[in-house]
Amino acid sequence: MFRIVSIIAFLVTFAGITVHRIAFPSGPGEHRRRVGILKKLVYLLTLLFLEQRLSLLGKSKKLLYLLAVVCFLVLGVAGFYPALVLGEELSGYLLMIHVTAGGVFAVCLAILALTSAHHYRFNENDWPWLGSLVRREARTNKFIPDNSELLRKAAFWLLVIAALPLMLSVVLSMFPIFGTAGQYFLADTHRYATLVFALVAIVHTYLIIQARVRE
Amino acid sequence: MKNGLILTGVLCWLVLALPTGADTGKKLGDESDGSRAVPVHLIDLLGEEGQRIAPDDEPVLPFSTRWTCGECHDYDTISRGWHFNAADANIAPGRPGQPWIFVDAGVGTQVPLSYRRWPGTFRPEQFGITAFQFTQRFGRHMPGGGVGELDSDNPDEVMRQFVSGKLEINCLSCHNAHPGQDQSDVYGYAGQIARQNFRWAAAASCEFASVSGSAAEQSDTYDPLMSDAIAVKYREGTFDHKGQVLFDIVGKVPAERCYFCHSNVDLYKNGLEKWVTDEDVHLAAGLTCVDCHRNGLDHNIIRGYEGESSASRNPLAATSTCRGCHLGTGLSVAPGEGRLGAPRPKHAGIPPIHFDKLTCTACHSGLWPEQKTCRTKTSRAHGLGLHLVNGSDEALPHIITGVFAKQPTGKIAPHKLLWPAFWGSLKGKDVTPIDLETVRQSAGEILSKEQTPRSGDWLPLTGELIRKALALLSSEGSIEGQPVYISGGTLYRLADSGALSEEEHVAAEPYLWPIAHNVRPAAQSLGIRRCEDCHSTDAPFFFGAVEVDSPLVSERDCVKMMVEFQDAAAFYVKAFAFSFVFRPWLKVVVLGSCAVLGVVLLLYALKALGCIVKVLSEEN
Repeated sequence: MFRIVSIIAFLVTFAGITVHRIAFPSGPGEHRRRVGILKKLVYLLTLLFLEQRLSLLGKSKKLLYLLAVVCFLVLGVAGFYPALVLGEELSGYLLMIHVTAGGVFAVCLAILALTSAHHYRFNENDWPWLGSLVRREARTNKFIPDNSELLRKAAFWLLVIAALPLMLSVVLSMFPIFGTAGQYFLADTHRYATLVFALVAIVHTYLIIQARVRE
Repeated sequence: MKNGLILTGVLCWLVLALPTGADTGKKLGDESDGSRAVPVHLIDLLGEEGQRIAPDDEPVLPFSTRWTCGECHDYDTISRGWHFNAADANIAPGRPGQPWIFVDAGVGTQVPLSYRRWPGTFRPEQFGITAFQFTQRFGRHMPGGGVGELDSDNPDEVMRQFVSGKLEINCLSCHNAHPGQDQSDVYGYAGQIARQNFRWAAAASCEFASVSGSAAEQSDTYDPLMSDAIAVKYREGTFDHKGQVLFDIVGKVPAERCYFCHSNVDLYKNGLEKWVTDEDVHLAAGLTCVDCHRNGLDHNIIRGYEGESSASRNPLAATSTCRGCHLGTGLSVAPGEGRLGAPRPKHAGIPPIHFDKLTCTACHSGLWPEQKTCRTKTSRAHGLGLHLVNGSDEALPHIITGVFAKQPTGKIAPHKLLWPAFWGSLKGKDVTPIDLETVRQSAGEILSKEQTPRSGDWLPLTGELIRKALALLSSEGSIEGQPVYISGGTLYRLADSGALSEEEHVAAEPYLWPIAHNVRPAAQSLGIRRCEDCHSTDAPFFFGAVEVDSPLVSERDCVKMMVEFQDAAAFYVKAFAFSFVFRPWLKVVVLGSCAVLGVVLLLYALKALGCIVKVLSEEN
């Protein structure tokens, strides 16, 4: 069941992103857009090695972000490969890798949430319609909200929310609290929370790249 | 007048009712009418030909269970039951079980025998053991029937079988509730079988008859109807005024009857007496063996393992497993769990993958695993319960218990283990046993120079002795292929140079059979304290030492690691176990991360709430 749901969800997400790319092209031209994406990738890869003219905190955040991305990829491959490709339970060396990367990822996620929450907070510019609704102002507001920013923020907070059941379900299963039925429930919770987390993370990354390309 | 009418009515009812019973082909005791009361067995004793036995017969004959019990119970149906059908090739063998173990320390032989097609066991005839010899050797712990009733095709034994009679099913072995039922004494069941008194064994075992004489000492022309050299004597008062005899028969077999053939003593501490050990938790809770191991008239008793229903016709096979009683099978609409008061296990904190990888018995049965496996003695292998049995801990066969091995089902379960030791011939890649007589005649001379220990342990064999014995067997013209000796998981043979070479071979692999009892209380199950009961780098479950038993003096301290029997890589298991060192840290880290995330969420949720409150108050 989880296998089918996951495959469909991933297909729908990637299809949605593709459609979005076609419907809302973010760059001036195809060639320049490709060059832009390439530049961004090079920029991402050299974050660790080149001076970025950032404060120590900024560098640490970037380092942490990269570590989180690596852990996310490792967790994704180790977790989804047996479930989606092999149709098996996670076990063996993959389980050990998964659990090891999971611990690091949890720390990265907590620090990133702590350091990025302020940046991703919602403000009144994100929903001017609400202000106009409450204050009975005419809809002549000249400010045009950036929907992709709103989506990015929403995706960030969704990630934080999804991370809680994702991590709690697995750590609680290690305590002698839940019986067999509870263990199955926790395992299912972990699986589906992971799926939601992964999908939102993909969308979030896409939106960030899109925003950078626009810049 | 009134009484006469009632009597007539009753008689008419009986006349009308009897043909109904006859129509169904069922005998009086074949089908219960629903009453849970124990029927009184005040019955005639019938002899081997179906003749009625009276105390003043000359000579007095032993009663035959085929006729006496068969009067009301379908003997042929019963004889196809699990305890009697081993030699029937049409019966599915089911999961490998406890074999009969043939031991001849004089020729360094210890092999698992079975008439069932259990991989790893040998058929008795492969070692030149006939059904008659098999019965005489192992019948002491058999309830008769089956192999004991086979017609011998060996010309030398045909006449002996006329003298000894056939070993009919001894219904009393299990169903006699009288304390006088004697399975073990020299004059009881086991003693009679040793003396080839198969025809007399059932009678001799019961509380109201005794038998003297020995069929083994009689000539081939001995006729039991003409002579009283083997005499049966029924105790005074056995027969009532109608010449009938009262049997103390119960349908629900007492555990003590099962114990005669199914006892174990684990030798993990010297001098461990049964009074200091606990019984199976089910028995301690008031159940008996047959509460779970049930059967109907066909005596197709439930063995109780998962998957048995595919090999058994017993309708309760699927529901009479650990899982069936404690968790239910979900096969019926009504809830099935909690049968016989079985508590539903919570298994708190146990990841469900354990239920895919382990049998219930892995955590709940047998001894708590220690750094090295221990030996065990069983009734069937060591003759426990018999008079004058060798009580030494070293007595052969050497059965090793507490081996956590993977079953063909893919689940790990606790097993008993036996390392086969025998002389065979290698043809291509196959090893076939050499007839024991041939070995005794050829190699016996060399091996007999060693003194057999009084303890019943192995002869102290050396490589040189084996080399000499193999050379003698090689010179024996009747052996096809190359003579080899198998023991302790190794195949020994003569190299071209004449030196002894050794190698691993599939024929040398041990025979394992799963155990289920004794079941420990839940509070003593594996994993009850912490995961490290099994997942630590020195946990006996994975890294315990399994004894490799061999008559070779040089091999006696050899061991194998438990993980070698689990189809798993030792490095992986060790690495996985090592990861549990960091598990408490992982818990702390993840819980801490969750707390941070929770606080961030709460903080900004409160902020958002503040904004909403502000906006709703229509202030700037």
